[in-house]
Amino acid sequence: MASEIKIRDLVKVYGRLPVVRGIDLDIPAGSFTVFVGPSGCGKTTTLRMIAGLESISHGDLTVDGVRMNETPSRDRGVAMVFQSYALYPHKTVRENLEFSLKLEKLPTAEINRRIDTAVEVLELDPYMDRKPEALSGGQRQRVAMGRALVREPKVFLFDEPLSNLDAKLRNQMRVEIKRLQRQLGVTTVYVTHDQVEAMTMADMIVVMRDGLVEQTGSPIDIFENPANQFVAGFIGTPQMNFIDVTIAGGTLNVPDFGVHLTMPKGRFDLAAHDGQAAVMGARPEHLVPVGHGASVETDSHFEAEIEFSEMLGNETLLFCRKGAVKFVARMQNPRMIEPGETMTFGIDTDRLNLFDKTTGETLRQPKANDI
Amino acid sequence: MAVDLETLDFDQIAKAERRRGKGSWLIMGGALVMSAVWIVPFYYMIISIFKTTPEYAQKHPLALPDGVGPLIDNAVTAWNNAKMGAGLLNSFIYGSIGGALAIFIAALAAYGLTRFDFKGRNLWFMLIFSGTVFPFQMYLIPLFFTYQELGLLNTHLGMLIFYTAICIPFPVLVLRNYMNGLSREMDEAARMDGAREWTVFSRIILPNCLGPMTATFLLQFTWIWNDLLFSTVLANKTEVRSIMAALQVFQGSYSSFGPNVIMTAAIIASLPSLILFIFLRKHFMNGMRISNVG
Repeated sequence: MASEIKIRDLVKVYGRLPVVRGIDLDIPAGSFTVFVGPSGCGKTTTLRMIAGLESISHGDLTVDGVRMNETPSRDRGVAMVFQSYALYPHKTVRENLEFSLKLEKLPTAEINRRIDTAVEVLELDPYMDRKPEALSGGQRQRVAMGRALVREPKVFLFDEPLSNLDAKLRNQMRVEIKRLQRQLGVTTVYVTHDQVEAMTMADMIVVMRDGLVEQTGSPIDIFENPANQFVAGFIGTPQMNFIDVTIAGGTLNVPDFGVHLTMPKGRFDLAAHDGQAAVMGARPEHLVPVGHGASVETDSHFEAEIEFSEMLGNETLLFCRKGAVKFVARMQNPRMIEPGETMTFGIDTDRLNLFDKTTGETLRQPKANDI
Repeated sequence: MAVDLETLDFDQIAKAERRRGKGSWLIMGGALVMSAVWIVPFYYMIISIFKTTPEYAQKHPLALPDGVGPLIDNAVTAWNNAKMGAGLLNSFIYGSIGGALAIFIAALAAYGLTRFDFKGRNLWFMLIFSGTVFPFQMYLIPLFFTYQELGLLNTHLGMLIFYTAICIPFPVLVLRNYMNGLSREMDEAARMDGAREWTVFSRIILPNCLGPMTATFLLQFTWIWNDLLFSTVLANKTEVRSIMAALQVFQGSYSSFGPNVIMTAAIIASLPSLILFIFLRKHFMNGMRISNVG
């Protein structure tokens, strides 16, 4: 049932404006793949090309080895959940679900079987005779999913389906969509600009920027081993801190913090970049206020001033300044912080990232991504 | 600071709220005078249909009638002399078929203008819409000669073609704006659900345009129904002329009918569109709404 999607050299241009600039992607059968990236990165356009709603300017799209470039979307065996849900306002929930099945001229018994299944899975029973305008946002969302579900598609496509819901409902639907996908095992492509959705739902994340794929990988891989500075900055909140360093004699010299860091072996080949300027990427949780979190190497301690802090309950974000450099740190065992207070920080060198100063590419050794 | 709601005088509050909504007597007086100006002609029309011709001549035009009896006589005279049966039927055919065809064609055009991306889309729209920019009288003479050439003068078909054509541009404007507001994701969903273009149009877009379609249909029906000029010029034979043209027998220096008969005929002639409005008023009001639920 689950289908495999292969994308080769996919390009989309509007007139002379390229929106997707050549994408290669293998989406494994039954996987939950999330396209994530800032607005205008081409993620929705790519999804719409898979759906058959946009023509493919160049390249190939195959589903289970069959080229789909010219196939009309109704014959691709794909179903989509739209951002606006796009329910038919003049039809009841039941009629919304039935529409595609009736067009397909399926026997009544089969139509009823499929609708009953969808109704049960999505708990739509109480609303079957209501029109969309009489439904709440979450209920509409479910109907939209039901409409995709009854078609028993080879591929599910989701275009930012949760962006119109309030925060609580969004969390709830996120879990539900993921659960549903696990249960059905249908290949799913999901577009979002919300990296939390990407991290929590995906088997495979595809980070896009300016019509190109920046990195493909599992959530943990993307988070721990970003391929470049863009991915590193895009995934994770608060953003990763980027601090200029120089590589000298197998250690990192961090002039802004006034420390020399001894890096753990294996992750970076510092000798190969000796004397080079680089950018150190440290997530807020890797800049640890001493006494408030995991203890770290003593050679990396430095002091910084807290400009202000955000108390989140289980943790506190510290917005700090050291000379001209600003950074964000995460304090695990919170206490009240006075602005202007000075604290001592340690750097957790085990999970630092290092990027080329000019290209922004990671300096990590290729085979070291086994975290 | 909590308020003990029990201590409040709700009647007093309601009275104050009402007073706030009221205008001054001066404005009310002005409004009354304005309404009278509008209502008096209707009053005159209503009382006249209950008068015989001599009664009408003797009394002041605004005086109340002696009884309601003469109405039947007036109606029969009007009906027979103007052959109103044929006129009403013709007008109904022109109004309903012409109006409906025009709305349907306009819907097709609006669908194309909003759903297909083709070059010169706005130009096409402007071309269609230019039909309403010029005074319709402009078309009269060329149309007359063309119809004469084609043998369409004094035919039902000729009238239907004209009314359909003249009624297309305005609904195109309304429906194009309305369809622009309908989510395109909705048609995309339908297309993915297996619908072809015609199905998208007829089963997804049209049902969502019923409001504006009914509203424009009513307006166009009324326009056709009330048209005197084109009907008089293009179809003056009894069998094809519209009700408004039929009423013309009561006019002119040789007409021997009193205003009581003319008023009765006028009321009979205006009843059908009135009834149609009453029946479809809900759709009409809905059609005037700009927004739609997605």
